Amino acid sequence: MSDVLLSGVSKDYGAVNVIPSIDLHIKAGELVVFVGPSGCGKSTLLRMIAGLEHVTRGDISIGGTRVNDVAASSRGIAMVFQSYALYPHMTVYQNMAFGLELARTPKAEIEKQVRDAARILQIEPLLDRRPKALSGGQRQRVAIGRAIVRNPKVFLFDEPLSNLDASLRGQTRVEIAHLHHSLGATMIYVTHDQTEAMTLADRIVVLNKGNIEQVGTPLELYGKPVNTFVAGFIANQPMNMLDVVAENRGGKIVLKLDGGAEIEAETPMAERARTLGIRPEDVVLVDSGKGPLTGTVSVVEHLGENALIHMTLTGGQEFIVKVDGAPDLAIGAEVSVALVPGRAHVFDANGHALREGDTQVA
Amino acid sequence: MSLRNDTKPWLSGGFGLVILASIPAVLFVGALIFFTVWVVTFSFTDLSLVGAKSVNWSWIGFDNYERLFTRRGFMESLWVTVSFTFFSAIVGQSLLGFLLASVMRALRGPLRGFIEVAIMLGWLLPDIVAAFLWSATTAENGLINSVVLGPLGFDSVNFLNEFAFPVVVVANVWKGTAWSYLLFSAALDSVPRDVIEAAQVDGATWWQRTRRVTLPMIKSHIGTNTLFITIWTFTYFPLVYAMTGGGPGRQTKVLSIFMYEQSFKIGKLGYGSAISVAMLLVVGLLAVFYVRLLKEPE
Ligand SMILES: Nc1ncnc2c1ncn2[C@@H]1O[C@H](COP(=O)(O)OP(=O)(O)O)[C@@H](O)[C@H]1O
Ligand SMILES: [Mg+2]
Repeated sequence: MSDVLLSGVSKDYGAVNVIPSIDLHIKAGELVVFVGPSGCGKSTLLRMIAGLEHVTRGDISIGGTRVNDVAASSRGIAMVFQSYALYPHMTVYQNMAFGLELARTPKAEIEKQVRDAARILQIEPLLDRRPKALSGGQRQRVAIGRAIVRNPKVFLFDEPLSNLDASLRGQTRVEIAHLHHSLGATMIYVTHDQTEAMTLADRIVVLNKGNIEQVGTPLELYGKPVNTFVAGFIANQPMNMLDVVAENRGGKIVLKLDGGAEIEAETPMAERARTLGIRPEDVVLVDSGKGPLTGTVSVVEHLGENALIHMTLTGGQEFIVKVDGAPDLAIGAEVSVALVPGRAHVFDANGHALREGDTQVA
Repeated sequence: MSLRNDTKPWLSGGFGLVILASIPAVLFVGALIFFTVWVVTFSFTDLSLVGAKSVNWSWIGFDNYERLFTRRGFMESLWVTVSFTFFSAIVGQSLLGFLLASVMRALRGPLRGFIEVAIMLGWLLPDIVAAFLWSATTAENGLINSVVLGPLGFDSVNFLNEFAFPVVVVANVWKGTAWSYLLFSAALDSVPRDVIEAAQVDGATWWQRTRRVTLPMIKSHIGTNTLFITIWTFTYFPLVYAMTGGGPGRQTKVLSIFMYEQSFKIGKLGYGSAISVAMLLVVGLLAVFYVRLLKEPE
């Protein structure tokens, strides 16, 4: 168990700078998830920590030791690849034993470690098989087993679940969370899937174009996104983003929408607001005229336990409302929306959240 | 309602078309079989290229085959051929081809293109031109003597006379490495980068990654390559013949040259046929051996 410290870490590929400068401290025993859209530099960052990619500028320390010039195998890390990267010509046992064997670990000790890991992952019956005789989920377990056997200080996962089908993904996600608790090891987990990030992480690092947008616990990121990018990314359903014009009416800030709707904000910060962000789950449907936003229903998506109601506001903006159960709403019906107090987000012209206390909504 | 016209318009015309379509294949296979049968048949006769026995030949049983072992020539040439194949193909071309393919993967830009073109040139150059180049380079007043040895104060050496075998081996390595290089480049492309990186994280050195991960993963490519270059080199003729004519003495007289001399210079077509059949058997046995080796143990 070790901490990982990145200071001013930067990466160039030739003349192209893909990671400008990253500062981040991952505490010992923490499970940190790097999340961001494809191509934002998650893998590159992880591979620099692993020692598979040269660090152009800055320093990486693991457990207090600078490791920029330390070989991958000596950094005390283990990596689980998206493709599993098992050795196809070796049995499951040999796959898991390979690292120990190279380290000249005594045979009996290797046997014990491999069997222990196999038991934890419930792959003991597979030890004599070749990878090609395994299902995707089983290969994934072997890849994790190979990592466990190395007894690393830091586990690195690069999108380990993206080649699995949905149900197996959910199951394996829970097992990784379990593993983190039972091993207590530091883990860095890369994914582009915000659900994985929310459910697994102690802390989430949101990356965009090689920069850290925000670092925080899943609930911090959900409740207080620092900008529109994080607000849009850390969400099951995209946040409704409405263009607004802020007006100061004798100390009260009023946010005016196209179509004439007005919403009162209490924080003086909202004076610079240009965008009002409202999650679909942070509003309630009310009878027409009983809420600040009014529009007509265009589509109802029934998901069973809840439904997404797509509506067009009087100003023409699209707006999505999430409601429990199966509402009985006709297409074209006129409805209004009331905001749950304290749950609206306001952003300035640059997309930065304006927050000083929460935005109070009338 | 007829299914025939709906589903198999090509075959529905009956067997006529099928037979028509297979004529080229039949001709080709027929020619192969004809020549093989011809060679095998005449290996049991005393047929000559010229003279009375070119018309009035007679059956002589296994005499020609007996001569392979009792007379001077065949066994010596077999040995030269085996050494030539081993050193120039199995060791030289395979090893060099693999090393080049490994190194070039890491290389980008113009240098890589330059080296690849150089490798290909040797392959694409006609054998006779290549033979001339090598002769000119290694001759007593050739490039090596006038540019390297001369200026350094050494006496000039006639390489083709004094080191005939090594020189043809090197020439053939130069000529044939492109094939192995191409095949191994493709083979290495088939090894996922992740797997090699996993081995790196597991602590494998470059040599351990190559021997314990890469090579086992491209085993079938290695087998294919060895099979092909063995067959080609074992029966290879023009480059060696044009460079040395098989000499000096018997030093570079590979079986193809020996067979050519016996058949067309001395004119013993029957004996030449027996040599061909023997070569066919050796190559065939090697091929079976490699194919066996390739089969993955279950
Ligand atoms: N070997 C490489 N050479 C050049 N550019 C690369 C290389 N690897 C990645 N990149 C670039 O770096 C950026 C980040 O890539 P990556 O870290 O793989 O993204 P992610 O894992 O977040 O999808 C991408 O724009 C990608 O094109
Ligand atoms: Mg990636």
